[in-house]
Formats: sequence, structure tokens, C-alpha cells
Amino acid sequence: MPDRETGADELYVGYLPVPKGQRRFLRLGLPLVLWVACGATFLWARSQHSPGTGAWDQGQPMRLMGVLVAAPYPMLFAQGPDGHAECVLLVEVGKHGGRHDAAVLDGRRVAASGWPLHRDGRRILELEPQDGALSAASDAGEGPVAPPARVRVGTVTLRGEIMDSKCFLGAMKPGEGKTHKECATLCIRGGIPPMLVTRDAAGNATYTLLESPGGGRLDEEAHAYIADPVEVRGELFQQGDMRILELDAKAIRRL
Amino acid sequence: MSVGYTWVQWNRHKRVYDAVAAVSAAAFIAVYMLATKLAWSGANAYSDEVALIRSTGACAIVLLHVILCIGPLARLDRRFLPLLYNRRHLGVMTFLIALVHAVVVLGYYHGFGVSNPLVSLLTSNTNYGSLRAFPFQVLGLGALLILFLMAATSHDFWNKNLSPALWKRLHMLVYLAYALLAGHVALGALQNNRGAIGPVLVVAGAGLVVTLHLAAGWREVRRDRGHETVTDDGAEWIDVGAPEEIPENRARTVCTARGERIAVFRHNGQVSAVTNLCAHQGGPLGEGKIIDGCITCPWHGWQYRPHDGCSPPPFQEKVATYQVRVLAGRVQVNAAALPPGTLTRPATLPERAHA
Repeated sequence: MPDRETGADELYVGYLPVPKGQRRFLRLGLPLVLWVACGATFLWARSQHSPGTGAWDQGQPMRLMGVLVAAPYPMLFAQGPDGHAECVLLVEVGKHGGRHDAAVLDGRRVAASGWPLHRDGRRILELEPQDGALSAASDAGEGPVAPPARVRVGTVTLRGEIMDSKCFLGAMKPGEGKTHKECATLCIRGGIPPMLVTRDAAGNATYTLLESPGGGRLDEEAHAYIADPVEVRGELFQQGDMRILELDAKAIRRL
Repeated sequence: MSVGYTWVQWNRHKRVYDAVAAVSAAAFIAVYMLATKLAWSGANAYSDEVALIRSTGACAIVLLHVILCIGPLARLDRRFLPLLYNRRHLGVMTFLIALVHAVVVLGYYHGFGVSNPLVSLLTSNTNYGSLRAFPFQVLGLGALLILFLMAATSHDFWNKNLSPALWKRLHMLVYLAYALLAGHVALGALQNNRGAIGPVLVVAGAGLVVTLHLAAGWREVRRDRGHETVTDDGAEWIDVGAPEEIPENRARTVCTARGERIAVFRHNGQVSAVTNLCAHQGGPLGEGKIIDGCITCPWHGWQYRPHDGCSPPPFQEKVATYQVRVLAGRVQVNAAALPPGTLTRPATLPERAHA
């Protein structure tokens, strides 16, 4: 191969002055490469997908009143904006759910204060960390006085992705997909309510709370499938505006 | 090439090199984050942590590609040698950026939970049997550990004390790190963000690295061919060519039957031969030049005297030398290496050959 130096006999040595030909090559070549790299980086970054419309309102805490269902995941049935009972899942700060003081308030009207996360009309509330963030309500107030009945819909097979509700609804953006798999697993292990997110042909999402058969927390066996595209089978229930699937972990199939 | 150790033997070139590299890396991360913010804002905005994780990860991968391409580029075209001179600093920078990526991932995705973040990293996903669900983060951790090992031993102190051969083997692990990172990206980010750009970039990057290495290797193989060997009194002599075929103060490289390359230099009407491997990092001495009477390695400028393979005082490095002769108008080199630093008599060229 011919010598492609621009100078007749140049050799770059780090501790000697840079030969003319090489200096010219670097002065012209490096900025050109860097500009091209910056442009490519810009296009690369723009090619990322939308992280979704989840939001986390971290300003002044809001106060919600409603009826508490403590298990398997604490949820508050409050009066929604449209006047119907709205189910608001309750989680704690960090990757923790299952408030320890919820059990004693089960079935009672409570006041809960914290920061809401919401996406596609579904809300959860991150409770303030101090005692008293969840307390028995002293006044009757508006809204339901008892939890809505849990109505069996039937046995269903659904395709979607198992998510932790807190990240997906706005704590992380994006809070889904392969790169979020370990985080979602950690969240669900910590008691954050798991949800199955299914989408119709137009991409509209439906959220379904996941429980084990009999109404307990999601079986650990199902954790291996978190954040993967899966097909699941189970008994579907409706409680207020919340869809609940009692999931048979043995029947999960990775797609 | 030093008689003592300092953290960094700074000179103007290293300062300029590091400044350009640091500004380029910072610009890459800034452009990536800015583009993410401009493309997705308002209700669709990305978390800053995710943008930082992606931009630092992308930056580290691009830097690793640059590092892997510099070697063969410099072999194919000497104008790229300035990029190779301070490549170790680029390696350390790559490790530091990858470390930022890993620390943010560890805190953001594995912190604030019921497990220690490191325990979570290693136990949250154990689907090693599934490509779709494979725990890709472990591959990234493996690559990060290799990059750390390389960054931590990048100083010449370790080169000297581990021995250049072991040091070189250790630093060849960069190819394993690259393979792990390719898996990390393919089984992580590419599965997450489906689309054509990611796979195209990964394949193009790997294609560039492989093509450049093959091209540089092919050039070496072609150069090794076509040198006849004659046996004389039990000694193997390799034909180097006519003296005029060796440029003044430059070398021609030949290869022995055992695969050892010899650099045969022409200088001041004489011909001398040393091993092609620099004692420092195994740089190709035959692609260097004689400067101030010394063979000068093109990689980091280490120097050796042509007649005895010794670095000029006060330096103490030595490389193997070879006997050379001129017979019937042809330069020949004895294939048997002499111990490093052995004094040899340079072959004197006929008048017309060095006129």
C-alpha cells in the first residue's frame, strides 16, 4: 500500500512538533467529524419513542377522602371528577407500597394526603411519608361510604405488559419496557400494585390491576414476566372503575 | 519511555488531545439531552435521569468504537497516529462516562427499594434462558469491570511491572468488553426502543470496527508474503529486497516462519534489524522512523539504537536485534533473534545504494 502521508517523510511523535501535513489533516478533519457526529447524535436522540403522558404532581400535597380497601393493595374509593366512585391506589415514597397502618382503617372512610400520579385518567396517590398521611376521616364528606361491590366479569385471556403502577403512571418516563424491567420488579416486590397494560389497535391503553387467585398479592412466580410482552389468563372482576384480574401465574406466556 | 513515574507526563499534545476529547464527549451528551428535550416536551417529556442514562451510555459506546478504530486506522494511514498517541486517556474517559451511566442506572432503577441496589441488579431479573427477557444489565456490568481494569492499569507503571506481554493481553480484553456491550445494547436498548435506527447504528459500528481490523490485518499479511528464505550454514536468511527498496530512515518488515516480524531499517548507508515489536506496548517499530539516529516507535515515540536495540541513556529499554547482510545486491536478515540489546554489526550498503 502506498505511503499516504501528505508530507514526504512525516512521522508524528507526541513529544515533537506536529508535522505540517498532519496538522492540516487534523485541523480540517477533526471539526468535520465532530460536526457530523453532533448531527448524527441529534437525529439519533430524536428517534427515541414517546415516553407516554404520565405525570407526577410533586408540588403541594393533595388531600383525598374516600373509603379504604386495605388488601391486597391499599386503594381508596373516592368521588371522582364525574361523580362516580374513582379507585385511587395508594403507594408510599420510593419503591414501596402496602402502607402498614392501612389494615386498621380497612372499610372505613379515610383522608389521604400525598402527591398524585396520573395517566389516561387513572390516578394513584403517593402518600406523604409522615404518620397521619392516612387517617380516619372526622367528617362524613362527599363520596362513597362503602366500597363498590366486586363483580365477576368472567374468564379472560389478555395480551399486554405487566408494569408497576407507580413508575408507569408517571414516576419514571418512560416507566415501561425492557430497560425498566428490573426497576418494575423491585417496585412490585416492594408492594407497588402491579398492572397489566393492554392496548387496542389504535394504541389506547387499558389498565388492569393484577392479583393472585383468591385476591392476594401477585404471585412471585409472575415476577419473571414483568415488563415482557405476555399473554395472561385469569378471572376478571370490576370494582367501581377498577378492572381487577386474578391471574394464574402458571398460565402466563411470554410472547 | 521514562526513568521514573509521574501521574501523567503532560505535554502540549496531551493537553490539546484531552481538551478536544473532553469537549467532544460533553458536546455529545449535551446534544443528545437537548435533542431529547426538544423532541419530547410537556406531558411527553422524558425524565432527566433517563436522558442522562441514555446519553452517557451512547457516548461511552461511541467512544469505545473510536478507540477500537484508531489502532487499525493508524496502521492504514499514518495521519491518524496523533489520535493513537494518547489513546489511554480516551480509554479512561470512556470508563468514567460509563461509570456515570452505571451509577445513575443503579440509583434510579435499583435504588429506593426493598433490596440493596447491587443485590437488585444481580437478582431482580434471572431470565438467563430467554433472549427476550435476558438480564442485559449484567453484560454492561461485566464490560464496566473490564473497562475499570484497563483504566486502573493504564499507567506505564503497570505496563512495566505486569510485563508488557501480560499488560497487552490484559488490555486485549477490550474486545471482550466490546462484545459484552454489543450484547448489552442489543438485549437492552434495542429491545426497548424498536425501530430501524438502533439496529442500523449497532451493525454499522460493528461493521466499521471489523472492516478496519480486517483491512489492517490483510495489509500485514500481504506485506509478510513474498520474502524468500535461504539456508546458509544452518542459518535461515530472509530476503528483504534490494537496498533501494528500503526508504532512507525507514524500514521494511519481513516475517519469519515462526510468525515473528522483523523491522529492517536503512540509515546512513547501513542496514540494521530489530524486532518489529516495541518493548512498550508492542507498537510496530517497522512503521516508525529513525529520528536523531534512533528507531522511533510510531505509537508513543519510544526510541532504540539500530545497532544494539537499546534505548539511549538514561533509558534502559531493550529490544531483540538481528544479524543483517548484503549479498549479491540483496539485503538479507537472519531469522534468529538475538537477545534484547545485543550489539550487531550493521550491513554496509554499496555506494550506489545510498547515493
